Amino acid sequence: MSPLSRRQLLGLGLGASAAAVLAGCATPGTTSVNTLPTVPPASGKVRLEYWAWLKGIDRVTELYNRTQDRVHVEAVFIPGGNAGGYQKLYSALAAGAGPDIAQVELRSLPEFLLANGVVDLSRYGVDQYEELYDPTLWNQVSYTGGVYAIPQDSGPMGMFYQPAVLDQVGAAVPATWEEWAEVGAELKGAGVLMDSFPLADASPFAAYATQAGASWFTAEDDGWVIDMTDDATLGVAAFFDRAIDDGIVTTAYGAYTPAWFSAAADGRIASVATGSWGDALIEGVSGAAGRWRVAPLPTWGTGYASSFLGGSTAAVLANSEHPAEALDFAVWMTTTEEGVNALIEFCGIGWSPARDVVGTLREQPSAFFSGQNYAQEVFVPAVQESSQNQDWSWWPVTQQSFNILSDGFRGKASGGTLVDAVVQAEKDIVAVMRNKGLSIRKAGA
Amino acid sequence: MSASSGATRRAPWVLLAPFLALFLLTFLVPIGMALVSSFTKVTRGGLFGEAGVVAEFAGLDNYAQVVGDPNFVASIGRMFLFGIVQVPVMLILCTVLALLLESASAKWPGAFRAAYFLPYGVPGVIATILWSFLYVPGLSPLIDVAEVVGASPDFLGADTVLWSIANIVTWSYTGYNMLIVIAQLKSIPVELYEAAKVDGASPLRVATSIQLPLIRPALLLTAVFSIIGTLQLFAEAQVLQRVAPAIDSQYTPNLSAYTTAFAYNDYNVAAAQSVLIALVAFTLSIVFLTVTNRKSA
Amino acid sequence: MSPSRTTAEHATTTESIVTAGSSRRRGEGRAAARRSQTTGPDRSAGRSRASTIVVTGLLVVVALYFLVPVYWVVVAATKTTGDLFGTFGFWFAPTFALWDNLGQVLTYGDGVFVRWLGNSVLYAGVGALLATYFAAAGGYALAKYEFRGRNAVFGAILGGVLVPGTATALPLFLLFSQMGLANTYWSVLLPSLVSPFGLFLCRIYAQATVDTSLMEAARLDGAGELRIFHTLGLRILTPALVTVFLFQLVGIWNNYFLPLVMLSDVDKFPVTLGLNNWLSQTDRLPEFYQLTTGGVLLSIIPLVIAMVVLQRFWRGGLTEGSVK
Repeated sequence: MSPLSRRQLLGLGLGASAAAVLAGCATPGTTSVNTLPTVPPASGKVRLEYWAWLKGIDRVTELYNRTQDRVHVEAVFIPGGNAGGYQKLYSALAAGAGPDIAQVELRSLPEFLLANGVVDLSRYGVDQYEELYDPTLWNQVSYTGGVYAIPQDSGPMGMFYQPAVLDQVGAAVPATWEEWAEVGAELKGAGVLMDSFPLADASPFAAYATQAGASWFTAEDDGWVIDMTDDATLGVAAFFDRAIDDGIVTTAYGAYTPAWFSAAADGRIASVATGSWGDALIEGVSGAAGRWRVAPLPTWGTGYASSFLGGSTAAVLANSEHPAEALDFAVWMTTTEEGVNALIEFCGIGWSPARDVVGTLREQPSAFFSGQNYAQEVFVPAVQESSQNQDWSWWPVTQQSFNILSDGFRGKASGGTLVDAVVQAEKDIVAVMRNKGLSIRKAGA
Repeated sequence: MSASSGATRRAPWVLLAPFLALFLLTFLVPIGMALVSSFTKVTRGGLFGEAGVVAEFAGLDNYAQVVGDPNFVASIGRMFLFGIVQVPVMLILCTVLALLLESASAKWPGAFRAAYFLPYGVPGVIATILWSFLYVPGLSPLIDVAEVVGASPDFLGADTVLWSIANIVTWSYTGYNMLIVIAQLKSIPVELYEAAKVDGASPLRVATSIQLPLIRPALLLTAVFSIIGTLQLFAEAQVLQRVAPAIDSQYTPNLSAYTTAFAYNDYNVAAAQSVLIALVAFTLSIVFLTVTNRKSA
Repeated sequence: MSPSRTTAEHATTTESIVTAGSSRRRGEGRAAARRSQTTGPDRSAGRSRASTIVVTGLLVVVALYFLVPVYWVVVAATKTTGDLFGTFGFWFAPTFALWDNLGQVLTYGDGVFVRWLGNSVLYAGVGALLATYFAAAGGYALAKYEFRGRNAVFGAILGGVLVPGTATALPLFLLFSQMGLANTYWSVLLPSLVSPFGLFLCRIYAQATVDTSLMEAARLDGAGELRIFHTLGLRILTPALVTVFLFQLVGIWNNYFLPLVMLSDVDKFPVTLGLNNWLSQTDRLPEFYQLTTGGVLLSIIPLVIAMVVLQRFWRGGLTEGSVK
């Protein structure tokens, strides 16, 4: 072979790679499916894939598959969103693939919006279903005039406690956070913890701030407005700084970890302020039957009666070929009696997203929780519109923001404070939003 | 004759072709892409980019962001700390074990070698899963045993989790590195030992004057690969993250790049991070090799 | 200065091992080699009864360190989840659930665990085999032929050895996504077929052991270059090939980052990703603890046996000249 042709070959090879390099450089997620025409419903059989981490979700999809033949929904388990599930979803979206429906937490939905990963369901007629859903949740899935997911479950907060442990020091169930701190101090004298405060997970903190009336992000026409250093938030941070310093709460482990289960079983931890979905997890504490009851979440004085901790949606992802059928399935699952009952029975979801369907299982008293009908007593009032902060809105960089907050909280273990962590986090989050090319300003600026 | 010499001239390229094609595809092209991507940035109009998304040349902005990110810089620093402590400890351990096993005083060397080499066959992820069970309070018999004597070790605390990871790495690779050293030991000519015996040398002297200097090449190569391996730490941190709240999502450089790409969807910044990690690894290895080669020359 | 010390210190690192190793093969000290293969070299400078006890004691303690986790997983796999938390980790529980656990592991999810094992074998076995072949071809070519661009190619590949593979995984993912290859078996196989280190080893080995004169003789006999490589070169390179194969096999088997980034279909997971997937479900479904410990046991048994059996190949391959 003459040297010339070898060089030509080399040149071809390099040229091809240059082309590949340039072609491969389009940043994923920058084109939106919502600017393309809508996909009409298919006429024949349809197969949908649903990626979720709810246990038992395959039994819910099986139920749906039995009610009709045209649409077959297949459930696929992925790790919990923040434990790798969202990574899988984003990488599938970036690869141009991914399921038709995915479980996306309410707080993470805006991030998917930013990555152009979800379908605007208002283009598929979702507005007709609005009145079937809890209005607080509907608010949290609506952005810029569109609706981007179907609420699937929520976590209205309450306080699960062990009456026998409180009786040890003769304490009454606290109704406000101040009383909660007092009870905690008494329990500390008896060597018992009141609750745990996870430094590595900032979502309970966000929920408490919401309850106190904070509204960290507001969407305005020209961009985002951030306010994390208002009195409500800083007050909550200072309160928990004191609680940690006083030893009322532990930061060594979070709720539902192996260490927590062991402490709960031994009666070394008195309560856990958590979403309604905590009931299924508390049932895993060994020997817990009949030893726990539920009370409303302690209040801040100003603010609201309760808050939401967690809560997911079923979102239709951008690369789905059957958005109309996916929407139908999601609405069935979350508003019909059979769908909601299945979600509660098989998946142990927190709270029904449907305005009028609480679920038959939740209409009776619970033997496990000492015969208390806690669903009616505690959580039905907690989901009323008046009990929840309607101004709270999620924002596009929640996962990163929570990571920033928890990184700051970790400093508490080495002498920092939660208040400082929040102040610093606000600055860092503004930088993150700007780096993503979004416009954001501080409230009052 | 020209046909066969033509064939002879083509032959190396033909032989190299599959390797080079794959190398190009899986190595050079991605590195090129990472470079281009790291110089690109995206701006979004509106609240979510619905008012338009524009990709443009970013200059060094992404790199500035990466270098200015205290978490990423901390992760690199952490890896340096890890490397400076773990690599020498592991090398010393594997050398001592090799010397002991090859010494005249060792019984059942074959069985011990097998026992020490066994962990190498356990993939890093599985080794981490295994050790995570041994670190988590409530599951760990090690903690139970320690409590009997009054100690309560916290393997997953903020100060200790790095060394718990180091332990997993040491556990996995010491046996393997030890085998390399043993191989090199076995190639030491017997005459040297016989001479030493004639001179009446003690085992320590045999070790320091004969064995250690001659296993240096094996140790060097092992050290280089260990250094590169340290910068690539990912699986151990990611698997332990579940049970160790002290491990944040940017604990190691690779974990940082992965989080940035797939949790924050910042592909361009992640590309800049990948390029920086590659540069650091490359530079360290070159520096190390140059320094040690110069010393030996 | 003894001749071997000069050799060790003046040659490049691995080449020195090669010369020492191959000189061994070629006959200097052949008697000693024979002796070492039977009774061990006479390195009795320093043996004594007391030192035997001390040394053996130390070795036993170290062996405990290496074996404790393996022992733990054997014990743990016999327990139910409740017992895992409740009973002492280093001893068995009253209920012996090993066969139940293993049965569950093998049947859960329609036998997905067995599929994972198969995938690992595919990625690692096929990948390492082909990678070794390509590395041998490339190393042989670089070692035995003079051609323009030889050094440039070698330099580029050497760079490949020093750059961590994880830095290329993310852009490779994006590239494969564009090509429609992401989340397929190829997405993990293709990168595994490239072993720059393997090529490096083969080149050194080929330089030291493949005689150009043999190649000339074969050419005179009328054999084509590729034929020479396949019949002559590969045969001589075999010890290095074994080392490269094992090195690449373990490397691919251990690789976590690449399949994590590339694969989202659970069916295509190698066993490392699969077990981690199970482990990540333990906080919602505690029965996964049992599945995970059982799965870990099942996955390490074949590996452990393989390591113990194949251990001598590392020894053999390495003394023959190709150090890691």
